[in-house]
Amino acid sequence: MSPASKKRLSYFLIIVIVTLILGKFIFESLQKNTVYFFSPTDLFLSSEKPRGVIRIGGLVKTGSIQAKKNDSVYTFLVTDLKNDIYVEYKGILPNLFQEGKGVVVEGVLKDKKFLLGKNILAKHDENYMPPEVADALKKSGNWNKKYD
Amino acid sequence: MISNLGLLFLVAGSLCTFFAIFIFIKDNIIQSSIVYKNFFVFYKISFFLIFSAFVFLVISFAISDFSIISVYENSHTDKPLFYKISASWGNHEGSMLLFILVISFYGLLFLLSSKKINITLKAVTIFFQSIVQFIFLFFLIFTSNPFAKIYPIPVQGLGLNPILQDPLLAIHPPFLYLGYVGFSLVFSLLLSALVTNQYNHNWASISKKWVLLPWTFLTFGISLGSFWAYYELGWGGYWFWDPVENASLMPWIAATALIHSILVMEKTRNFFSWTAILTILTFVLSLFGTFLVRSGVLNSVHAFANDPERGVYILFIISLITLSSLIIYILKFPIKLNNKGNFVLFSREFSILLNNYFLMFVLTVVMVGTTYPILLSVFTSESISVGPQYYNTILAPFVFIFLILMASGPLMNWNKNSFFSIKNKLFVFFVISVALTFLISFFVKEDDSIFLLGILCSLYLIISVFYEMFFYKKFIFIKLNFPRIFSHLGFGLLIMAITLNYFFSREITAKIYLGENFSSQDIKIKFLNSTSRQEKNFQELFGSYEITKENKVIILNPSIRKYVQPQQFTSETSIKNDWFSDFYIAMDYASDATTGIGIRFYYNYFVRLIWVAFALITIGGIFSLSIRKNEKKF
Repeated sequence: MSPASKKRLSYFLIIVIVTLILGKFIFESLQKNTVYFFSPTDLFLSSEKPRGVIRIGGLVKTGSIQAKKNDSVYTFLVTDLKNDIYVEYKGILPNLFQEGKGVVVEGVLKDKKFLLGKNILAKHDENYMPPEVADALKKSGNWNKKYD
Repeated sequence: MISNLGLLFLVAGSLCTFFAIFIFIKDNIIQSSIVYKNFFVFYKISFFLIFSAFVFLVISFAISDFSIISVYENSHTDKPLFYKISASWGNHEGSMLLFILVISFYGLLFLLSSKKINITLKAVTIFFQSIVQFIFLFFLIFTSNPFAKIYPIPVQGLGLNPILQDPLLAIHPPFLYLGYVGFSLVFSLLLSALVTNQYNHNWASISKKWVLLPWTFLTFGISLGSFWAYYELGWGGYWFWDPVENASLMPWIAATALIHSILVMEKTRNFFSWTAILTILTFVLSLFGTFLVRSGVLNSVHAFANDPERGVYILFIISLITLSSLIIYILKFPIKLNNKGNFVLFSREFSILLNNYFLMFVLTVVMVGTTYPILLSVFTSESISVGPQYYNTILAPFVFIFLILMASGPLMNWNKNSFFSIKNKLFVFFVISVALTFLISFFVKEDDSIFLLGILCSLYLIISVFYEMFFYKKFIFIKLNFPRIFSHLGFGLLIMAITLNYFFSREITAKIYLGENFSSQDIKIKFLNSTSRQEKNFQELFGSYEITKENKVIILNPSIRKYVQPQQFTSETSIKNDWFSDFYIAMDYASDATTGIGIRFYYNYFVRLIWVAFALITIGGIFSLSIRKNEKKF
């Protein structure tokens, strides 16, 4: 090999190695920080309990909201009208959190039917249905035209 | 009536653009004439026609002409005039018309301002610009006509999303568009130079300001958007790594890389093909941002159109423009420029090269984080979201290295290994910044390693900028380097402010009953009273809170607005500052104050320095434009 092509080869190798390292770095960070979304039926059908922080979404089951012990611990059921998940949440319920309306909760599963909620996402207006929730309802076959 | 006139002007504008292209092909390509008068005239007329169409759209909004669908869907007679007008670009159709107006505006500006440029280069640039303009006009008229009619004519409109009813937000889309749509001109200029064989270092001198001008607008637009999110959304933060924010950040990163590489091309006649690729990339990313925001693949306040057909069209346009520009690049790139890849280690262009690598890395990270969830949901129907922690952990270490590069690069000479001439200075900066970092760390009682690194590296950059400002004797040097000094100083302050803010901000969420207290460590919040009032288009509930922190007492008055049309709640935040830090409070909706109101309180440490930093970076851009004009005199 001529010196020039040797030099080019070494440059090329350095670039490949650096790219691979950075790629791995990006990939790992992405793995660590992605949050998966599940509907109650998804969870019901899944064979294993998903680990780490996840999001679940559906409707807040009517009549299921309860304040526990003191004011800021709440429990409620999230439903896609086929399966339910029991959620325990400590914190303030946002203004748009209402019975019968769509909700997305972020948290950790204790078991397949019990979520410890850390965060309630409600950045939408009161008529709006989060797309994940709409999909979850469509999947469970309980989509209703009135939600459009 | 007015809507018909608007549509007429729009169609006439498209025809006129088409004629301009037709005339250019007939006279200047087929008959190889070098007289461009007719072509230029048609192009200018097309601008005025599009401008008139836009004016008519604004008028239709101002007079609430509900016979037009987009007015009906996005306006309401109860709205203040200012928001009626801003609603005209607050929807998909109107914003696309503004998009085209900006393309055309840049074409006209280039045509009128560049007297000394080779006439062929100029004409071919306008030719490419009019092709881009025509493609989008075609898209607008056939998929999203802003003047489309509705019958029977509704009596009342549906209203504009209340969170969009904010003065800053109302004016930020025009600035963002002047930013990223503006990159269309330098893109056309590149294609023109390639086709007419004028792609050389002179091209770099001509193009520089056509990158800097939109870059300045984009910087300003992003700052406005960030500032709006901070005080309107009520989540206490200034940047959320939301896909929509990322959509505007991506072209900004590419353009920042381009500003630097174009400088190398001008000064050392190097980086030719890299600059060309960056130019194409910048414009394509702008279009990609438009696609992300407009196609409805994202779920946000910006996604107006949930019509997948439009998304497919925009995707088609992006592919068309990318492919054809790459083909022109491959076929026309001058071969003699290809093998100038040699450069000196530790020269200024070397540090710019590293800077470009770094920016490309950041771009990749942002791109992956933004598109991965979309791609995953398209191909596997899994739905995920990528948290801000992804960006923070992955970018932080690289930003620190980048700051050191930003500090040392400008001290180096072009084309010369400057390592030995600057190593003493670098060492002195290092000693000073280490000393200051210890001082700050001692003062604020924080010794986290990331915190120390962040402060150290940003101080390093700030000190090097100050060194240049005060120890370089020649006034002309300072004058010519003003833009860089401002922007780099701004960036150093930005990273410092972000680090301070990240480590010392506090967040408290609590439910407080009227007249009661809530304490958390050294902060005490007291709910004093609440009042309500009725406005024209909303009902407002005010709360009054007394915040006590280390002997400081501050009264904050946030509120909740209940809009009637469309029915929605917004939290109006109340913010007061203490030097550079903010006390920030937002309420959650409650039907009745006596049942207790949820609040979110944020103590945002040094957040004002972030706005100062944004301003400095923008000022740098503004200076660069005024100085370039006089550069020849020196």
